[in-house]
Amino acid sequence: MSQTALQKTFCAAAEAVGAEVTFVADVKAVVDYVKPLATGPVMIPQFASGERLGLATALKAGGVALSQSNLRQGAATASVGVTGANFAFAATGTVVLESTAEDIRLATTLPEHHVVLLDPSKILTDDLAAVPYLRTFHNNSPRNYLAYITGPSRTADIERVLTIGVHGPKRLHILLFSGLSNDPLEI
Amino acid sequence: MSKIRAKEYQGRIDQALANPKLQDALHKFGDAFLIAREKAFSDYDFEALREEIASCKDEVAENRQQYLEQFITNAEAAGTTVYLAKTADDANAYIAKLAQDRGVKLVVKSKSMASEETHLNRALESAGIEALETDLGEWIIQLAGQRPSHMVMPAIHMFKEEVAELFSKVTGVEEPAEIAHLVQVAREQLRQGYLDADMGITGANIAVAETGGIALVTNEGNARLVSTLPKIHVALLGVEKIVPTIEDAATIIRTLPKNATGQLLTSYVTWIRGAVPCGDEEKELHLVLLDNGRSALAESPHCKDALRCIKCGACANVCPVYQTVGGHVFGHVYIGAIGIILTAFFHGLDKAAEIVRACIGCRACVTVCPSNIDLENIILSLRETIGHEEGIGLGKSIVFRKVMRNRKLFHSLIRAASLLQRPVTGGSRTIRHLPLFFSSLTEWRTLPAVAEKSLRDQWDKIPQRIEKPRYKVALFGGCANDFLYPELGIDLIKVMNKLAVEVSYPQKQNCCGVPALYSGDKETAVALAEQNVAAMLEDDPDFILTTCPTCTMALQRDFVEFLKDNPVWAAKAKRLAEITIDAAGFIVNQLGATEVFKGLSAPEKVTYHDSCHLKRGAGVWREPRELLTTSGRQLVEMDHADRCCGFGGSYSLTSHPDISKQILGDKVKDIENSGATCVAIDCPGCMLQLRGGLEKKEVDVRVKHTIELLAESLS
Ligand code: SF4
Repeated sequence: MSQTALQKTFCAAAEAVGAEVTFVADVKAVVDYVKPLATGPVMIPQFASGERLGLATALKAGGVALSQSNLRQGAATASVGVTGANFAFAATGTVVLESTAEDIRLATTLPEHHVVLLDPSKILTDDLAAVPYLRTFHNNSPRNYLAYITGPSRTADIERVLTIGVHGPKRLHILLFSGLSNDPLEI
Repeated sequence: MSKIRAKEYQGRIDQALANPKLQDALHKFGDAFLIAREKAFSDYDFEALREEIASCKDEVAENRQQYLEQFITNAEAAGTTVYLAKTADDANAYIAKLAQDRGVKLVVKSKSMASEETHLNRALESAGIEALETDLGEWIIQLAGQRPSHMVMPAIHMFKEEVAELFSKVTGVEEPAEIAHLVQVAREQLRQGYLDADMGITGANIAVAETGGIALVTNEGNARLVSTLPKIHVALLGVEKIVPTIEDAATIIRTLPKNATGQLLTSYVTWIRGAVPCGDEEKELHLVLLDNGRSALAESPHCKDALRCIKCGACANVCPVYQTVGGHVFGHVYIGAIGIILTAFFHGLDKAAEIVRACIGCRACVTVCPSNIDLENIILSLRETIGHEEGIGLGKSIVFRKVMRNRKLFHSLIRAASLLQRPVTGGSRTIRHLPLFFSSLTEWRTLPAVAEKSLRDQWDKIPQRIEKPRYKVALFGGCANDFLYPELGIDLIKVMNKLAVEVSYPQKQNCCGVPALYSGDKETAVALAEQNVAAMLEDDPDFILTTCPTCTMALQRDFVEFLKDNPVWAAKAKRLAEITIDAAGFIVNQLGATEVFKGLSAPEKVTYHDSCHLKRGAGVWREPRELLTTSGRQLVEMDHADRCCGFGGSYSLTSHPDISKQILGDKVKDIENSGATCVAIDCPGCMLQLRGGLEKKEVDVRVKHTIELLAESLS
């Protein structure tokens, strides 16, 4: 599949499971996107592509309150978690985050919004294409916590009615950002 | 057999049957599930996936020790503590002691069927430790003090009003029965739990030998919180969860959600390997690998395939018995078809003894199982085991052993019955009422009377005029065709003669043995297999035709299996299987003679009911439809055409008539809604059931065997 086709399939699949996909051109667009969601502090753990982008600085400059360290303490009030993604699968609209660092896990589980920055060039076809990367993660670090995230948290446990946002994020925002990172091994 | 146990079981059935709301919900769920599932697999090759899963699981089962050691070595190298628990108590004791040693007061749990299996919460409680379920369904069940009624959706049997009541007790305010609101209440109520707990307990869907890590396939996000926030993480999982490689895990992950809920993928797939960071320290990760009967299951030659199960729950979703009574009746901790088998091995034969008979044998589960498990076959073999342990009941035992095995006695008793029934039939072909304690049998369906003259007794008088037969075939009539519906055999002759085929009726044939087998008396079934192989091959026919798909399966499959190690019979049984074919399949596939019937009938609206063993056993369903439409009839498909009619032989007569009645009721509704004036079938058992149900409800739709309809076309 061509990269354009992959991107199209990815967007359709992600939206079908309730993720919100938007294209952003620069860091300012990210700030503009995050700001209105931030009804409380924004959890922003350290991640390579975000650091390069100067994301935390830009958010702060944009007047967004951040929680950058001691994320556990901010658990109750944080409204948004912002992270990058290692890569994604088109077939299911999934983003993959190497979440061994605890802060990545906290930022993607506790707040009501999870904003993921993804470089569309890192969209793979499907879960099978991901296996070699998983193996590389394992080789690089014998202890790890890897997460496939497909849409927001959901349940159908009451009368089988699909309901979004039970324990994890209620909304998953995927910001497609070209030129952000071309390395599937970094977030 | 325990009388008290049987009585309690019947009580649960009665209670479930008195809950039409539950039945309605489970029926709707089953329908929606099949649609979603089909859509999810539309770009995938389900057959290929399930073969892969089956062979991967078989590989691990055969080399259990090797993969177990590999898994443990890799897990330990990543800082995990692994504990092998032989029994449920062993696992519970380990976890409770760990919690006590670490001063744990509160445990948060995400969904784990293994912990249901071991009754872990109870064990923790008695050790003074509070366990809080965080999966929404599990929490509801915990608050209600119940057990799950489904492996994937534990609270599927509850309604929002009941949930609201439970939640109101927790919050102290009256919570409205709105689902979105209730979900929000759960989110808020459980949130603090993750932060306060000192230990998180999860299950695992997969354990990867190559890495020593586990994978969790979830939707709510609670397993991510449970495995992240508390300092200690314990995962309790069955040893059968081990697969060799990441690729194998990926195959399961791409199959499981599609087959469980019709999702392409769940919201979260979480791979955890080793002690990862936790706050400023390292997480303490314990993996408790549970045996609890799994090794015994792996050693069981007839049942071992059940260990392939990936706990998708699909076998329950599509099961007509489950849809009728739910998982609190049709299950113990594990439910549905797989539940019967796992219960027998994990919780004891005694716990499985009632539900093993609740399976109607329709094979709906076998078609959807992503691990390619022949659940029906395993259940039959368990029934046999339990039959040995507990006896199959004195009455049945006499009928099968003393009567059926003795063909002459059996047949003369049936002849006698045909005379004795006169007082209730008044000479008619249908029994509408039976006296005394048999009366309940005819309350909801009429029964056919035993024919005055059986097919075998009139065979020689039926003229067959074919100058040069293309083939000489022998008819295996089976009891129903022989003694209840001899006219079907006469029609078969008419149709076959038209196609230049001569039909014989070997007089020494006997019952196919399925009724004995289904009741747990395999010995009789094997004895009958030998009798029939000898009888049917005696005149060396070109083919053996059947009009009953249950008999077809017996001749094509069971006899071969029964006699495979018997040097005298094995080759003969194989030969018999090779030349046995159902009548419709013979006309279409062997003779290629569909066109002979072209346009011979009026365009009557006919709907087709797929018999379980014809479609899912012999793989025949296109053929009869082709014959009917070619003959000029208008085929209108009913909803759920291939759903069981509820007959199941003795299932509907003695073991579970009340469940059979409900399933029949569903079928009658579907037939009525189709607008057809005739329902075609290829099974005398279904014929009995459908005629009985339609007549009793006075629905004016005739029930005809496809062969009878073809014979009509010829007149
Ligand atoms: S037996 Fe098959 S269908 Fe049933 S739960 Fe297991 S894997 Fe799923």
